[in-house]
Amino acid sequence: MEETKINDTLSVRESASLEPKAQKKKKEHRIRYTWADYVIAAVLILFSLVTFYQLWYVIIGSFSNGQEYASGRVFLLPKGFTWANYSVIFRDTVFWTAFRNTVLRTVTGVCCSLIFTALVAYGMTSKYLRCRKAYYWLFIFTMFFSGGIVPMYLLLRILGLYDTFFVYIVPSLFSVYNMIIISSFYRGIPDSLYEASELDGAGEFTIWWDIYMPLSKPVLATVALWLAVDHWNSYMGTMLYTEAGEWTITLQYHLKHLINEAAGASSEYAEMVSAKTISYAGIVIALLPIMCFYPFIQKHFTKGIMVGSLKG
Amino acid sequence: MRINTVINPVLAGKTKKRKKWTGRNWAVFFMATLGLVVIVIFHYLPMAGLTLAFKDADYSSNLLGGLLFGEFVGFDFFLEFLRDVDFWNVMSNTLIVNLIMLLINFPAPIIFALILNEVKNSAFKKGVHVITTFPHFISWAIYGGIVIALTDQTTGIFNPILEFLGLSSAENPVYLMGADTIWAVIIISSVLKTVGWGSIIYMSAIASIDQEIYEAAELDGINRWQRAIYITLPCIAPTITVFLLLNIGRLLSNSFEQFNSMQNAVNLTRSEVLATYVYRLSFTARRYSYATAIGFFNSCISLLLLVLSNFISKKTAGRGLF
Repeated sequence: MEETKINDTLSVRESASLEPKAQKKKKEHRIRYTWADYVIAAVLILFSLVTFYQLWYVIIGSFSNGQEYASGRVFLLPKGFTWANYSVIFRDTVFWTAFRNTVLRTVTGVCCSLIFTALVAYGMTSKYLRCRKAYYWLFIFTMFFSGGIVPMYLLLRILGLYDTFFVYIVPSLFSVYNMIIISSFYRGIPDSLYEASELDGAGEFTIWWDIYMPLSKPVLATVALWLAVDHWNSYMGTMLYTEAGEWTITLQYHLKHLINEAAGASSEYAEMVSAKTISYAGIVIALLPIMCFYPFIQKHFTKGIMVGSLKG
Repeated sequence: MRINTVINPVLAGKTKKRKKWTGRNWAVFFMATLGLVVIVIFHYLPMAGLTLAFKDADYSSNLLGGLLFGEFVGFDFFLEFLRDVDFWNVMSNTLIVNLIMLLINFPAPIIFALILNEVKNSAFKKGVHVITTFPHFISWAIYGGIVIALTDQTTGIFNPILEFLGLSSAENPVYLMGADTIWAVIIISSVLKTVGWGSIIYMSAIASIDQEIYEAAELDGINRWQRAIYITLPCIAPTITVFLLLNIGRLLSNSFEQFNSMQNAVNLTRSEVLATYVYRLSFTARRYSYATAIGFFNSCISLLLLVLSNFISKKTAGRGLF
């Protein structure tokens, strides 16, 4: 009791003595901009513009008239503004099948993987776990050594997962890296909470679901976002372990196909569009969900990485 | 009993071992073992499948049969690719591209974080970071498409720029996705895509540096350049070491999607790396055993590199991954 009081007064005194200093510094900084600041700002602005322009180019390409795009040079604004590229994409049934599959795999994959990984992470942090070291090394080893694609292909064939929707869900059910991130957060949860519920007679599963899960929302959100981006963006799985059929074709795989077609030949669909501008429209639609969510979730990504860095 | 445990620690250890498993032990065991089951099925079983590299199952329609009953050929496939010119061509592509990436792409986020750290206006800093991190969330399929669009001979934006600099002409445009320039395209696009995201970890490391060090240095009259080089950089050195070691471990591995999305028939001689080569061998040429042998070799070298660099780092810098 007394100790905490002393600590409190100490910290109060410290913060009191620090605050005016910090304020003073801020004021100083606000006034003084040297030439170095302007150089840095110019470099960063240039870099941001280059990064932004790549996206902008695809957006204006997707709104351009296919013929005019092919003949003239598009720089800052669309040439012959048209929605035709989008209407071609909207009529493309394969695109929407792929879109549905990708949404489905993202939602299912994230939910299953998150709950499963969190459960294992709880087991790995519990003091009741025997032979923790053995588990740990068995997990870690797989991060640095893998069997490769042919044995994986063979295994998925044997398990009957090949060319089914579940090939996207089951193998990625558990990720060692995410487990380490979540368990390092679990370790930060005070033991007293655990001991209290243990005394109340709560079982391990109840403690995990009712106490640890609600408390670890920030890290779960971060990991969920990582998983979602992975699921949304991956196309290697479709290429390797499926035939890209009705339930296995994914959005990125289809886009890759569209882009390759566009780069390979100048096969014109109609007067208003070209294979290139259509693929740009597809790219923009595939990017829309990420663009919409990005401003809101950006800070979560950062937070999660910080959790990871504390551990590493 | 109690006396025993106090006097004889060996005996105490024994009695501890015989301690019965409670419900909590079982519950927790169940949780961790669930993860282990998935890992064993999807990571360790494929490792057992690596024996395919020692058996002849090339072109076989029944891969499992080939694995179980195929003719045992020992290290024949390993010797075959070690003598193959194609393999060494792919190997040198992989090594050169990855070494350049280690020189450019690895320090880029560190430098970016140091520069961003010098920005005094926090809104500007945040804005720049939000924009430069965004490409990380674009898939390689799409990003490759963007790069292809920008470098296109007739419709891209690079040829007009090169023309302006006198390096290209409208009649004879430079094909940037061709074999001569593909490495530059891959490396520059990779920097643009990853630098913002990669810098987050270094920025959080910089944020956790004790401010008192800076205050003390300011009293000594240190300038900004010196502050970045002599204080910030050494303070984030542990983080840098970890990522350097991981990167050295990945010297032979590339993102399959990154290279696959930018490959075409023209640049294949330069853009083919081990990751894509193994894919092509196994699923296009159907040389399953041969491809597995190359993959096995690759994995072993990678692990060796990681362990070795970790060992050296521990001896010299006193810190490592494990």
